[in-house]
Amino acid sequence: MSPVTRGPERPHLSFRTPSFRTLPYPEDKKDHMNNAPRTPHRPSGRAVAAGIAVAAMLALSACNANSRPAGEADAEPTAVQQGGTLRILTPSDAINWDPATSQNLAITTLGLVERRLTSWKTNPDGSTEVVPDLATDTGTPSDDGASWTFTLKDGLAFEDGTPVTSADVKYSVERSFAPELSGGLSYHKNLLKGADGYNGPYQGDELDSIETPDDKTLVFHLDSAYGDWPWIVSMPAFGAVPEAKDDIRTYTTQPVATGPYRVAETVEGTSVTLERNPEWDPSTDEARTAGPDSVVFELSQDETVVAQRLIADSGDDASAFGGSFVPPAQLAQVQQGPAQDRLVTSGPGALAYLAINTEAEGLDDVDVRRAVSLAVDKNAYRVAAGGEIAGDFATTLVTPGIPGREEYSNGVNDAAPEGDVERAESLLEEAGWSGRQLRLVVQDDAPTLARAQAVQQGLERAGLKVKIVPQADDVWTQTVTQGDGSGYDLTLSSWQPDFPSANGNIQPLFHSSQVGGGGYNLARYTSPEADDLIDRATQATDPDAAAALWVEADQLVLGDAPVVPLIYTKNSFLHGSKVENFRIPDFPAYPNYLQVSLAP
Amino acid sequence: MTFVRFLATRLATLAFVLLTVSFLTYAIFVLLPADPAQLACGRPCTPERLETARAYMGLDRSVVEQWWEFVRGVLTGRTFGSAGATVDCPRPCLGYSFAHNTPVTELIVGRIGVTASLAIGAAMLWLVLGVGAGAVAAVRRGTVLDRGLMVAAITGVSAPSYLVGLLGILLFGFTLDMVPVSGYVPFRDSPVDWAWHLVLPWSVLALLSAAVYTRLTRSQMLEELGAPYVRTARAKGITEERVVTRHALRNAAIPVVTLFALDLGALLGGAVITERVFSMPGLGALLMEAVGRTDVPLLVGVTVFTAAVVVVANLAVDVVHGVLDPRVRRGGRAR
Repeated sequence: MSPVTRGPERPHLSFRTPSFRTLPYPEDKKDHMNNAPRTPHRPSGRAVAAGIAVAAMLALSACNANSRPAGEADAEPTAVQQGGTLRILTPSDAINWDPATSQNLAITTLGLVERRLTSWKTNPDGSTEVVPDLATDTGTPSDDGASWTFTLKDGLAFEDGTPVTSADVKYSVERSFAPELSGGLSYHKNLLKGADGYNGPYQGDELDSIETPDDKTLVFHLDSAYGDWPWIVSMPAFGAVPEAKDDIRTYTTQPVATGPYRVAETVEGTSVTLERNPEWDPSTDEARTAGPDSVVFELSQDETVVAQRLIADSGDDASAFGGSFVPPAQLAQVQQGPAQDRLVTSGPGALAYLAINTEAEGLDDVDVRRAVSLAVDKNAYRVAAGGEIAGDFATTLVTPGIPGREEYSNGVNDAAPEGDVERAESLLEEAGWSGRQLRLVVQDDAPTLARAQAVQQGLERAGLKVKIVPQADDVWTQTVTQGDGSGYDLTLSSWQPDFPSANGNIQPLFHSSQVGGGGYNLARYTSPEADDLIDRATQATDPDAAAALWVEADQLVLGDAPVVPLIYTKNSFLHGSKVENFRIPDFPAYPNYLQVSLAP
Repeated sequence: MTFVRFLATRLATLAFVLLTVSFLTYAIFVLLPADPAQLACGRPCTPERLETARAYMGLDRSVVEQWWEFVRGVLTGRTFGSAGATVDCPRPCLGYSFAHNTPVTELIVGRIGVTASLAIGAAMLWLVLGVGAGAVAAVRRGTVLDRGLMVAAITGVSAPSYLVGLLGILLFGFTLDMVPVSGYVPFRDSPVDWAWHLVLPWSVLALLSAAVYTRLTRSQMLEELGAPYVRTARAKGITEERVVTRHALRNAAIPVVTLFALDLGALLGGAVITERVFSMPGLGALLMEAVGRTDVPLLVGVTVFTAAVVVVANLAVDVVHGVLDPRVRRGGRAR
């Protein structure tokens, strides 16, 4: 789960391809080295339901009979067109191929070159499932759910022909703990036993909670049971890095490939060209179709120009797609023009919300927060965000399509999108609201400010005085995620899970451990009851039981009104006329790079 | 001897300016409430890992210490990281970008070719266009041609580069499909493609900057053409063409050359907007990325480099003036 940012390849640490940021728009800043444009975005998640539930069940039931054998079953008979050069246009000025520092989703840039223990397979019906990748299955938990065993497939090799061993995977995970290689997806760092104080393998230390009894077997020991572990090992750090080829300076541009492509050429700031990796064996891979013969990332592209090029669709641009969201201005142009057939809009993805600082004066009263929730005009917010194509109205914390989401009513969350000003006023009166001015601290960019004004106008209808305080991205991040939270009363953010589990929606935003210190509990919400429920749901290894607990957690938390769910955002992407199999699954709300192919 | 002293004074000033710029840059970025360590913390982040990241990036030390390390690095090189995973930053080390995992000097060297191609080509173009148009306007003073050129110049001075750039792309790239709309091809790969990709950005930059030169050249020329020596030259029967080109234009060129050197120096520091619009991965684009990521070492490094280029360009102008015009160095003061 990360905060949402704009384009899929975000630019921040440009290490994440799809980068995400906590911004209201698409990705990229963080991905800075990646392709993510500096706009952030995150994946969206929608109904991965069926697929996920099935996958989760398979993964979670310790029963071997349910483990998915590699390769077998789902080998799809549908042949994918081979050949051609696919172009991916991105605002990022570099791609970070180092798995330790990458925040890429399993189905974007890094996945073309790097395989992990598990990967994501997106199906034509929109579902996304976790499938074995380097491993033969999605993991076998111990009886207590706190240890997970994986076996590597036979015949796997790096691009230079060296066999992939369990030690290479262990080393890849270990190096992600080095301070020199920070900035990547870090969920595992909070889960593996003995990880506190571990600083990577470069001083000769090993992480004892990862065992490699032989060349093919890996055993992970966790602090406590964690049912979503099969999703965690689909993250970049769970690939394989050969220690002999590891140079932290150069790995970011010269990774050792295990996937269908390897890096052939990098022109600083201009392009990265991938060519086929002869050592990759398609029969061992369910997630990737590897249609194009080569893939070229065109870097440092202006998003507006990218949109115009794709609309024009001439020459090589017919075989290209944009790695970042289509900017709002071009979105209107595309929707009416001949390029509309090539515009792909995701389903509901990230949750955009208004966070209420529950520690701020007066806002510690739940009735005041309910009044704020009722006074917000979600419809005006959506209009400011671009209208219907920007997303659907939100009523829950868990986003659509993720197990653990259930529609419910607590008398506040399902008020009309325009709000209920009368009830808001009477709640404020009963609570004895002081009438003080509320500071709505937001990122200083035009789209966010427009949305902030929509929120401000809604609240003022009920007599709540709101002052919009715009701050530069980094300053905003600092204000709302660090320190004592005294700098804001309200803020706007959006969030999309890094993996399709309610865990990813709820825990980072509402667990008391995520207040300040860089965490994203922007409402500074602390509730021992909610913490307990979140912990129990996290540890549940039975997916049905877990889902039931998440539904309960959603209702419990939103009952306290720490945030106002606004919309489930949608992302739009544009591609050239020769690009085929360009699909956005229900989760994440980003196209699956691994299955894109080109017409002959 | 006096010239040596002149040069020494200028070099000392140069060093002082660069030290001041680097310190102020450090102070500004360090005092900002943004925290670069936050971005390096990963997701999800914990307070302990935030501290580790801060220590690794040297952000736990005072501004003065950080700045002093930077200055020392320029002279002697630095080593970053912990035992076992160190990275060297050889001198002149302008810092180490943690976001790129690369020394800043290396990043600048990688991008300077793009910016230099863009800047030098555009500068040549605008110098020829601007000075030419200015001279013509001065000689044809008061005519329709003069008025027309001045209107065009005012338009050029006021037009924002992102607008002209996008309009240029739309017209020549998409509608007429005459030139590539974006991208950069290194000179050594293909000089023809290199120039072909640069034609539009050169033209846009040149069009905007030439306007200033047109106005400056025109006013200088008018001044010179009215000067007594010109009257004397004409009286001696020298052809008008020779009077204009050999006498008036040459003298009018002195302030133009000064301005040109400074403009070129500034442009070599990166044409931020033009590079972005044309997807040129130059220093300006690098700076934009650095701002987006709060990559302080990169910001400081590029800023100091840009300052150095401008200061050196300034010095070059002074030296050239000193050589051309003995009055400058005799007084021991430049201009």
